[in-house]
Amino acid sequence: MKLAPVDYLILALYFAFVLGIGWRLRKKISTSGDFLTSGHSVPVWITSLAFIAANLGAQELIGMSASGAKYGIMTAHFYWIGAIPAMLFMGIFMMPFYYGSKARSVPEYLKLRFDEKTRGYNAFTFAVMTIFSSGISMYALGLLLHLVLGWNFNTSVLATAAIVLAYTYLGGLTSAIYNEVLQFFLIVAGFAPLAYLSCTKSGGWSGIMSRLPANMTHAWSYMTSASQNNMGVDLFGMVAGLGFVLSFGYWCTNFLVVQRAMAADSMSAARRTPLIGTIPKMFLPFIVILPGIAAVALAHMNLGYDLPTKAGGYDYDQVLTTLMAKFYPAGMLGVGLTGLMASFMSGMAGNVTAFNTVFTYDIYQSYIRRGAPDHHYLTVGRMTTVAGVALSIGAAYLAQYYNNIMDLLQFVFGFVNAPLFATFLLGMFWKRATAHGAFSGLVSGTIAAALTWGLTVAEGKGGVLGQVHQFPSVMAQNFWIAILAFSACFVVTILVSMASRPRPEKELEGLVYGLTKMPVDTAKWYQRPAPLAIAVSILVILLNIWFA
Amino acid sequence: MDDLRTPSGIFFTLLGLILLGMGLFAPDTRAALTEMNVNLYSGLLMLVFGLFLLLMARRAARHS
Repeated sequence: MKLAPVDYLILALYFAFVLGIGWRLRKKISTSGDFLTSGHSVPVWITSLAFIAANLGAQELIGMSASGAKYGIMTAHFYWIGAIPAMLFMGIFMMPFYYGSKARSVPEYLKLRFDEKTRGYNAFTFAVMTIFSSGISMYALGLLLHLVLGWNFNTSVLATAAIVLAYTYLGGLTSAIYNEVLQFFLIVAGFAPLAYLSCTKSGGWSGIMSRLPANMTHAWSYMTSASQNNMGVDLFGMVAGLGFVLSFGYWCTNFLVVQRAMAADSMSAARRTPLIGTIPKMFLPFIVILPGIAAVALAHMNLGYDLPTKAGGYDYDQVLTTLMAKFYPAGMLGVGLTGLMASFMSGMAGNVTAFNTVFTYDIYQSYIRRGAPDHHYLTVGRMTTVAGVALSIGAAYLAQYYNNIMDLLQFVFGFVNAPLFATFLLGMFWKRATAHGAFSGLVSGTIAAALTWGLTVAEGKGGVLGQVHQFPSVMAQNFWIAILAFSACFVVTILVSMASRPRPEKELEGLVYGLTKMPVDTAKWYQRPAPLAIAVSILVILLNIWFA
Repeated sequence: MDDLRTPSGIFFTLLGLILLGMGLFAPDTRAALTEMNVNLYSGLLMLVFGLFLLLMARRAARHS
């Protein structure tokens, strides 16, 4: 792929705007709260788009089109059975406790609800995970730019990281969130035309269906057993593993996304943030997955498009860029490439802003230096932003040793996030859950995840501790790691809670269901959470039926 | 800068104009698998979106 001067012009224009937004917002920062939590002042349409954009990193874009080419429309389960129900649950049931507790972060909620050790455990694991995610994203981008444009891996990684650092350092979370919205628009502008062009070229959805095996164009019909579909996952593994444990674990407890909703200017806006976010979210598969599916159909048509290959098979991670090269002329190609850069930046800025908040409030202020004046924590927040970017760069070089980006991400989420949702579920809805219960539950969940991974084999990997069971695919293994980690955490939390002394109910007001006055929403009926959630559910069910 | 719609609107207006310019003055720029003038149509859409954001920002500014 060769770029024309106009493509570079578009890329430069985008960089100028991103930095400009950071520069204009720098004056709004005078306290650590402004820098790390946006001072609860961001309008709801902005938080909603930032909520989904922070998750829409480069590895998501590249990974989703790759999975589309590999697994077909079943990939949409990550959205339609995964993200959407979890986002609805988060807005309706969990946001009142997050926003109402006045916690500044997810680990801080755990501190208020349980105790210091639960917070510390969560803060530490989360900090490590965000650095890894950020590094993986950076690696994915650097590799792609190298393969596609021949750009130097080091230069492109360091230059984009420097831009992210500049605007998050200047304007903090507000700058990250504002830019995420611009980035979201740009991702849609850059990739929606690709979906349209590749899909019409392959004869529309009916043309694609006629050229692909039926299990790639049906989301639900081929899941009675794992051997029927390319993912190697059965119905239970999909619904319980991805639909329940992994998705709820990610969308309801991951501070990266929760932070965006917490930045909203009122309780009502905070609850609506994930709910409104579901509307663009449910249509994203048509932009990010469809091109991957169309690519397989195109490869059957002798038009001069072949699926990209590497030693030992297809290189699905290059599907998106090879399509761009075939469908985008100079000009639009610049927009597509800028969209890819934008997705990378939104993902990385999301990770960095979540990391600096958790580090500053939950690690530094709690364990290293308490009770300092606020401007001290503002400085620490800024320094942590620099350190976070530096560590991500380190993680990017580490990520070079792993191949499939999506699988690795799921794997990390399985260890850390899956047990977490059990802790929040019990913490928010069962007042008897105690701090010792929560902590031992989390630890057992993570151990259960590690043991499952160590004792099972999938696609010739894993089984470090022996081979008890063989999974049909790494995906199935990941889903089951999550299911077992969640179950272990759930059971151990209940058992240990029953054996330990409960906290007085007075201390739990505002933190637990039943002891919290649920917010009365005075917004117009169609802006209230419940009607919004019902409308979204109907739409998603229709989408699932349509592509069943 | 409190209204994000202004900078986003300017950005997409400029982007739209660049693509529209390409579509009009270099209409033969084609990728291997496309017959239509991709720059022209996507440029038009981006221009409309940019102007829409600017209009929304102006209306909001007048109301407050």
